[in-house]
Amino acid sequence: MAYQRVVITGIGVISPIASGKDEFWKELLAGKSGVRPVQSFDSTDYAAHIGGEVLGFDPSAHVKKLPFDSMGRASQLAIGAARMALSDSGIDLASIAPRRAGVAMGTTSGEPIYVEQYNDIRKASSPADVPAEFFARYPCHVMPAHVASEFGLHGAASMIPNACAAGNFAIGHAFDLLRTGRADFMVAGGADAFSRIPYLGFARLGAIAPVKCQPFDKNRKGMVPAEGAGILTLETLEQAKARGAKIYAEILGYGVTCDAHHMTSAHSQGEGGVRAMVAAMKEAGVSTGDIGYISAHGTGTPTNDRIESIAAHTLFGERAPLVPMSSIKSMLGHTMGAASAIEAIACALAVQTGWIPPTINHEEPDPDCGLDIVPNVCRRVDPRVVLNNAYAFGGNNACLCVGRYE
Amino acid sequence: MPVSVWGAMNNPRIAVTGAGVISAIGAGLADFTAALWAGKSGIAASERLGGNAAGDIGDFNPAPWLGNKGVRILDRGTRFLCIASQMALAETNLLQDPAGDGDPDLGMFSGTMFGGIHSITAFDWVGQTDGPSLVSPMEFPNTVINAPAGQAAIKHKLRAVNSTVCCGLASGLYAIDNAAWFLRFGRAKYLLAGGMEEVCEESALGFRTMGLASPTGNVQPFGTARNGTAPGEGSAMWMLETEETARGRGMTPLFEVLGFGGAHDALGLTYNRRAEGATAAMEQALEMSALAADAIACIIASANGSPVGDEMEARALRNVFGDRISGIPVCAPKASLGETMGSSGAMAAVIAGLALDKQELPPTAGFSGTDTGLLLSALPQAFAGEYALINAFSCDGNNAALVIRKWTN
Repeated sequence: MAYQRVVITGIGVISPIASGKDEFWKELLAGKSGVRPVQSFDSTDYAAHIGGEVLGFDPSAHVKKLPFDSMGRASQLAIGAARMALSDSGIDLASIAPRRAGVAMGTTSGEPIYVEQYNDIRKASSPADVPAEFFARYPCHVMPAHVASEFGLHGAASMIPNACAAGNFAIGHAFDLLRTGRADFMVAGGADAFSRIPYLGFARLGAIAPVKCQPFDKNRKGMVPAEGAGILTLETLEQAKARGAKIYAEILGYGVTCDAHHMTSAHSQGEGGVRAMVAAMKEAGVSTGDIGYISAHGTGTPTNDRIESIAAHTLFGERAPLVPMSSIKSMLGHTMGAASAIEAIACALAVQTGWIPPTINHEEPDPDCGLDIVPNVCRRVDPRVVLNNAYAFGGNNACLCVGRYE
Repeated sequence: MPVSVWGAMNNPRIAVTGAGVISAIGAGLADFTAALWAGKSGIAASERLGGNAAGDIGDFNPAPWLGNKGVRILDRGTRFLCIASQMALAETNLLQDPAGDGDPDLGMFSGTMFGGIHSITAFDWVGQTDGPSLVSPMEFPNTVINAPAGQAAIKHKLRAVNSTVCCGLASGLYAIDNAAWFLRFGRAKYLLAGGMEEVCEESALGFRTMGLASPTGNVQPFGTARNGTAPGEGSAMWMLETEETARGRGMTPLFEVLGFGGAHDALGLTYNRRAEGATAAMEQALEMSALAADAIACIIASANGSPVGDEMEARALRNVFGDRISGIPVCAPKASLGETMGSSGAMAAVIAGLALDKQELPPTAGFSGTDTGLLLSALPQAFAGEYALINAFSCDGNNAALVIRKWTN
């Protein structure tokens, strides 16, 4: 018996450029930037000052069943995006058998706000003054627990916190559960909240750009930390058709590998990244000639973008410059554990609408990259099969293959 | 339905071919087994943790397992994970040449709950006290939750999937199930699967402020006088591979990973007194194993001394097994180990394997009576049977159960 086909039926997104699928897609194709001076903490003493924050987010408008102030911002963002995705999917959760609807989430930092507040209290007085709930609310398993509890999803609930590739891992896990008949409906994606902790880390690594994010540009100067949430609803094709759901795209497969090389630098030739793409295409049953678009990891750091370009050249050979590959991090910044989930949403909308988003802030091509990065202006290319690349601390590489539903 | 899909796919059988463990009662399978069967408890007042009770490994020297190179930057929990992995790799002839490229078919799934909370807190603390410009960028990678698994991949040259799984106290079992499926899909050949956790001042304080810690430090899972648990630490890792891979390289399969059940109670961050999710997790695990409850010969419980959590598990066991539960031997190893959080499910799985091998459950250390009607003992309990059930139920409402079988051809 073959595995079941798995499709995307709902999309929810909260991002620095816009929230909600329609507004997000409009701004993404328009090339809007969500990168601004950091507002959520005083960056005076840091070596960098820009970020991609979600402004004006009102958690009480999204978190309705649980007390909205009983959880950290990452959970609030995740619930907000999940509510949008569930609404978009048109699902009646009462129609799904109990225990057959689950959650798969990804994150980089979980709920770092509680570590920040713990240290603030410790600095001001003593650890004994730290409220009890801090420790219950910190571990990142709370994010799927909160999403499951808010919406009454009683199946398996997982957090797969594989840093900046976490969203792809979570979507892949949901795909695995559905294709083997272990679930009927999955809420899957990633979320991260803006926090001084990762910001400080990237600042100390000298990785943050001073003014803007310019992936693949010759003069690129770094990445930009950001926050957001991207959530998809996934279900089997059979069920989606039976309930007359609209179908955005099909998940065809994914590939995950580890460089086992260095915690913060990818392998110099992108070896693991190539293996992840090859594995994803193999699982999807497609070849390089089928790939019409690549959503790049494209952080904007000199090293990442060079290595990612090498990987693309290695895999696609002479065709590499003909396969459009853009980085929406040029607009959003790097939304960490949400990034590859939001990028998977862009991939789904690309195969559904035919349009691909640009890499903005492009000024001067980098001969070391030598790819079609869709500079500054979106384009209609009607891709049938696309790849979504994500790389992470720990040498993790995850590639998701998304196809037009046919 | 799950059974039809599972059964129809001609899945390869998933074999356990080796294990590694480091815990408060011993490092290495031999010491761990001897201590466990002797009813030893590793829970004691910990000097490192301000005199609070913990299943603390205390001072330990990682060099015998990991050498000295590159170990200094690894935080405590990461060292546990690297050590347990080293043992499992050595036992299964998969240690990689340090000078070589490693193996693209060798990977890891590791469960954790708090991850490197101490590293994260310390990193932020320096930023807030000494100032952002004095924070060492070298310390940053240890702050990401998947850092221990990533470091283990570098240390042991694991180039296939490298994934961290955070499902609270159920993490270890979720990690094992994830690994089993990656093998069934053919995405890797050999996967380390299990969990790790360190006890640090932050997680120990968390146990106290959350009311999880026993005020007396006397951890009595299912005990009539149970009044809480104690945090524990360590790592347990299995080596999993398909039967075909194992046989192809001359390994003897020891145990078979069968069905898994995962269910969330979704009532917020709490146990569910009605035990619906825990019941469902066990029922799913049996269903996916194509087994009736009658087949289960012994149970490794999740119980950690929590008044609410233990009562929930007892109720779930009665739901699944009915009156027969009073005749099925149960062991609650957290009496010896403490609540080792992200690694507790994996430690329970390793113990289940040891028990199937001996056809005898280890004692529940210090057991002196229960009001739950379950069959526990302060002495080893003999049984006859092929199948063991392992529970891992989490205080956030997540529930996991796994069935394993003594390998039979």
